[in-house]
Amino acid sequence: MAPIDRSFSRRRFLGGSAMAVTAGALGMPFVRTARAQAATFKAGVITSLSGENILGGNLTKQGYDLWADAINAKGGVEVAGDRFKVEMFYGDDQSSPATGADAAERLIVQNGVDVLFGPYTSGSTIAVQPICQKYQVPMISGSAESPNVWKAKPEFNFGIIPAVDTTSGLSLGVLAKLSKPAAKTVAVISVNEPFSKETGEGFRDGAKAAGLELATYELVPPEGDLTPIISKIAALNPDIVAVGGHEEVLINVVKTSKSLNYRPKALIMHYGITNPAFAQALGADADGTTGVVVWLPTVAYKDDVFGTAKDFAQMAQKKLGGEPDYTAAACAASGLVLGDALKRLGKKPALTPENRVALKDAIAETDIQTFYGPIKFEKDGPHYHDNIQPVPVLVQIQGGKTVAVGPKEAAAADYIYPLPAWK
Amino acid sequence: MDLFLQTLLNGLLIGGVIATFTIAFQLAFGVLHVIDFAVGGWVVLGGYLGYYITAWLGLDGFLAIPLAFVLFGALGYLIGPVLYNVRNSRTARPELMALALSFGLFTLLRGGMLTAWGFNTRNVTTALSGESLAIGPVTVPLIRVVAAVFAAAIAGGLFLFLYRTRYGLAIRATAENRHNAALMGVNIGRLSANVYGLYAGITAMAGVLMGAIYSVNPEVGLRYTLFAFFVAVLAGLGSVEGALVAALLLGVIEAFVSTYVGASYSLLAIFTTLFLVLLISPRGILRRGL
Repeated sequence: MAPIDRSFSRRRFLGGSAMAVTAGALGMPFVRTARAQAATFKAGVITSLSGENILGGNLTKQGYDLWADAINAKGGVEVAGDRFKVEMFYGDDQSSPATGADAAERLIVQNGVDVLFGPYTSGSTIAVQPICQKYQVPMISGSAESPNVWKAKPEFNFGIIPAVDTTSGLSLGVLAKLSKPAAKTVAVISVNEPFSKETGEGFRDGAKAAGLELATYELVPPEGDLTPIISKIAALNPDIVAVGGHEEVLINVVKTSKSLNYRPKALIMHYGITNPAFAQALGADADGTTGVVVWLPTVAYKDDVFGTAKDFAQMAQKKLGGEPDYTAAACAASGLVLGDALKRLGKKPALTPENRVALKDAIAETDIQTFYGPIKFEKDGPHYHDNIQPVPVLVQIQGGKTVAVGPKEAAAADYIYPLPAWK
Repeated sequence: MDLFLQTLLNGLLIGGVIATFTIAFQLAFGVLHVIDFAVGGWVVLGGYLGYYITAWLGLDGFLAIPLAFVLFGALGYLIGPVLYNVRNSRTARPELMALALSFGLFTLLRGGMLTAWGFNTRNVTTALSGESLAIGPVTVPLIRVVAAVFAAAIAGGLFLFLYRTRYGLAIRATAENRHNAALMGVNIGRLSANVYGLYAGITAMAGVLMGAIYSVNPEVGLRYTLFAFFVAVLAGLGSVEGALVAALLLGVIEAFVSTYVGASYSLLAIFTTLFLVLLISPRGILRRGL
């Protein structure tokens, strides 16, 4: 019997290595299969993780993740007595609608997601909707605020935040009730770009419903100087000036008004004043500015996953290091809608194409109370599949802080009206 | 009548504000023969300097004006020769290469500012922020008056410099004919660096004022680049005095159209004016452009 040669040789080493690599490669699928046996619901998030909307994009991602973390901490979504964890997949729209549509397709085809969570911007949301329709995958949008998203009557998309035309319009009614002596006239300025124009149109139409006379409606280009407009409005002297625009325009309205020594009795802007950068940029001149939000940590709502609105704010503060705004809250609430619909659907993962369509129908029947407020989607009309239940909360900057001032049941401070003259 | 007078004043002051950065832009074009797309980038950089002087050091934003001239003038002095060498290279279309380079520089400045300072809008605070003077029925925003005076001073100073000094003569000679100027002993490369430095410094100074009048974020640079281009075309490319007149004209048109027709028509009115002037006088409003 020849002795077994156990000495090291180059040929043996290479041969052994090749066998090990082959065995490893052959073994990998089994490892994967073993892992995949723990069934999970796969959720895709399309949002702006790069580009000019990265800040808002991260807000939406953080909101969706907060729900995934909370529900997974409870063992997952409850379906027919069992619990299934949620696995998140991310697609970056790079702040471009066309890229968002590509990302959505990739999430559906390559990652095989059961459901999508919608983008930060309305433009991207509108671009992704046809993809959802094509692959029959439901989407829950925690951020899109443009009424055009819902005017398109998207069969597979659902929105948690009321469209901006409803909130800006309703907010004038709330303001009119708070004003003493009662405000009678309003001038509306809106920047000629999609979101801002829709906000301005909301203010314009809401004025009529609130019994206010529209002194003027001014559509301004984004790059225009505001001095002529503010001079014209100062000559008309309305009680309220309402502005549809983003932060930069809002800052310039305040600066230009002050430089012309003109201050209306109330200045209301829909978006931007809750961004701390607004008050930081203007300092004391930001005081008195009114804004509109659809959620605050102080609202009196609660649910089984997050607890009260305050509990949610504390959880978000702990994980994100800052107080959550209404976008993050609405995105987290999107998860609650999904959890509720999956529970009612009673189908275990992974969902078949038929089950995904059934999930869409289950989402459409949502009628729940959450820490964010009531959620129930419109079944017809111009806000089809949008949740227009939340009543807008008026906030005002007082002493550098943003406080809720109306409606009365949500108020934490008295509304300052009329605003004092500039110092 | 009150609104008419206020509108006229608003227009002249808007024009004064626009003129602050378009005058130097014209000078740079006259010598380097490059439409510098980076102009908006320099304006925004000046604005940010004004913001940080206020926010970090608690000083008046106006103190950033001389600092902006020194800091960004020096940076411009370093970048100028690169632009000059590309513009005068032996490639097939050096003017397009230089245009692409200035666009690249603008993109780099914008991207760098976004990375460094984010998307938030900042404000420059000065002693005159929000201050105004009431003269009869008309309200005069003081900071805009300062900007208009600044523009007039820069225009006057440049005019004196160009027409009363030997170096100014060299600059004019270079603008007129680069090769002949070089033959007369002008160091064209160094002169171009100096002129680009002067232009970048003046533009950044104007940026501090723009930040005080409006606000500043990295995205607004494109707007200033567009306005500089409008004014330059209306003024006649390279005409410094034409820039002042063109800026005032555009300001008045914008104010009157915004007040009496509708702000959304102001850009249309500006484009129509631009088109008509190009049709009637292709060398600009004073017929002194290139």
